[in-house]
Amino acid sequence: MGSGINPGKYFVQGDEAIAEGAIAAGCRFFAGYPITPSSETSETMARRLPEVGGICLQMEDELASIHAVGAASVGGLKAMTISSGPGISLKLEGLGWGIKNEIPYVVVDIQRAGPSNGVATRVGQGDFYTVRYGSAGGNCSLIALSPKSTQEAFDLTIECFNLSEIFRCPVFLLSDETVGHTRELLIIPEESKLNTVQRIKPTLPPEKFLMYPLDTPGVIHYPFPNIGEGYGICVSPYTHNSKGYASTAQDIQEKMARRLFLKISENLDKLVRVETQKMEDAAFAVIAYGGNARPAIAAADMARENGMRVGFFRPIIVWPFPDGEVLKVAEKANRLLVCELNVDGQLSREVARAARGKAEVFHLGSGGVEPHLPAQIFNEIRRLYK
Amino acid sequence: MNTVGETTKTIHPLVAKYLRPERMPHMACPGCGIGQVVHSVLLAIDELGLTPQDTVWVQGVGCSSRITYSTWIGDNVDAHHGRIFAVATGLKMARPDMNFILFTGDGDCGAIGGNHFIHACRRNLDVTAILFNNGIYGMTGGQVAPTSPVGALTTTTPYGNLEDPFDMCQMAVAAGASYVARWMVTDFKPLVSSIKKGIQTKGLAFIEVLLQCPTNFGRYVLKTSAPQEVLKWIKEHCLSMKQAEKLPQEKLAGKYLLGEFIYRPERTGIVERYQEFLQKHRKE
Repeated sequence: MGSGINPGKYFVQGDEAIAEGAIAAGCRFFAGYPITPSSETSETMARRLPEVGGICLQMEDELASIHAVGAASVGGLKAMTISSGPGISLKLEGLGWGIKNEIPYVVVDIQRAGPSNGVATRVGQGDFYTVRYGSAGGNCSLIALSPKSTQEAFDLTIECFNLSEIFRCPVFLLSDETVGHTRELLIIPEESKLNTVQRIKPTLPPEKFLMYPLDTPGVIHYPFPNIGEGYGICVSPYTHNSKGYASTAQDIQEKMARRLFLKISENLDKLVRVETQKMEDAAFAVIAYGGNARPAIAAADMARENGMRVGFFRPIIVWPFPDGEVLKVAEKANRLLVCELNVDGQLSREVARAARGKAEVFHLGSGGVEPHLPAQIFNEIRRLYK
Repeated sequence: MNTVGETTKTIHPLVAKYLRPERMPHMACPGCGIGQVVHSVLLAIDELGLTPQDTVWVQGVGCSSRITYSTWIGDNVDAHHGRIFAVATGLKMARPDMNFILFTGDGDCGAIGGNHFIHACRRNLDVTAILFNNGIYGMTGGQVAPTSPVGALTTTTPYGNLEDPFDMCQMAVAAGASYVARWMVTDFKPLVSSIKKGIQTKGLAFIEVLLQCPTNFGRYVLKTSAPQEVLKWIKEHCLSMKQAEKLPQEKLAGKYLLGEFIYRPERTGIVERYQEFLQKHRKE
């Protein structure tokens, strides 16, 4: 299979950049179900994947698409699915199977205004906790990355695939309608400039290899043998021992739960990616993620122009949450203003938790439809700045 | 106490050849028909010369699946409840060169997974699906199934089942599967030939097996725990296609038609079509 990478400069939507990023990362299986505002990714995959020998299917629903994606990965293909809003609710059913069996694949969420169907064509940021805690049963951690631009949509999609192989788990690209539908410059570099992680294969023979490393829970870069490679793998929804055999024993359940959590929480240092601007002397910080980072940065710049010492902070890897980085920001600035497109204060709650009382945390929320305007955020900064 | 090695010496040669000794004995209830179906599948596999290297067992959730999961010495992929056909789609598209044998139940395939079942038939996915129909939810303790007879007393229909049972073979025919057949678990020879035919058929082969569940169907619906009584009841409710032809429609209510519903090996499916499509559209 060729790389399928077409280097050059493009003027495209974030949704299309995701598809190009996936193909560049080696994705060769995509299954989806149409849903606004994510359909442009599915359409691009349908056009592009066959060119590189990949498979693109429109399934009967979101459940089928995420399960087919997990299974295709078990079959040896890098795979991705995408959805939004109510479709993500359905995807969560299948996500548990991927988490539980430590299957590498990527799920994209182009967030729209919710709950339920909400406003299908317009932006929202209500899935921050959904992607992290939505899979019933808990006992796991999860990785999610959030882009703010078309270029990042491409770059971070590749990173999602890489992390999914390294950590052997489903990884979320938590985007939103603003990024999904913003048409701007995308530069696709030469293949040699891209870092892509291939599936890690066992070096031990089948009789010695254990499919699930329950006794070394923090281990990453752990191999994933696919079907048909002679390893006699066992994949199932049940709590399993290291071979994949179902078990009801408490010690096995305990080990499996810890494995699914610790492989991420013991490797937090490899999962810190944030953007900071003008934090060196900041007395006040604006915090936002995804597409809503754009008006937040503009507002912070306006505040600087007006003589206020305002910095900006954005988690790029949003899960696991960058507690340490937020604490550093909180130790510098007196007040933190979190701008996000939900009224219940999701990112704000995490920031408040991670700030450990070192700074006052304020929430500028919105139910969505429109992103925040820079002037709106600027007015809030002016009101709260001290 | 037997060690694993000693056990393998005394067990059935097909089990010794194809199943994992450490997973034996399986967890079926005494008198359950699942072992008989597995026997038929193993014989079909053996007669066709399939190997653990080229064949994957795929399960859903329920007795059919929980009992057979991780027993095959090759790869075992067990799906969430109802998602077996979605999982099989991903597996088969990724590895069109391999054989996939699906073990599903009447709840898994006919209720929670009904939509995926319909669309797998519509795509005519090239897999062999064995439906274990025991007419009840066994694993969860005797609740009504979409295949339970009208009037059946179960733990969730204490006053009798009001709903008509689902004929999944008719559904598979209507939705487009290449091969559809139904047998009673004791129809050993036709069942083995049918599974062989199913494996060899391009496209979706759907083979329903009516089997006895003395623990739950027997206990709640028939008020017996004797497997032979449950088998007798099934037999009394079965008709061959030929017998059915001579009967008026009203006499067919509550009966199971046995035999082949359709065989259309010429009908292509998604796997074949996608391979041809890729050959035309692939640029690299």
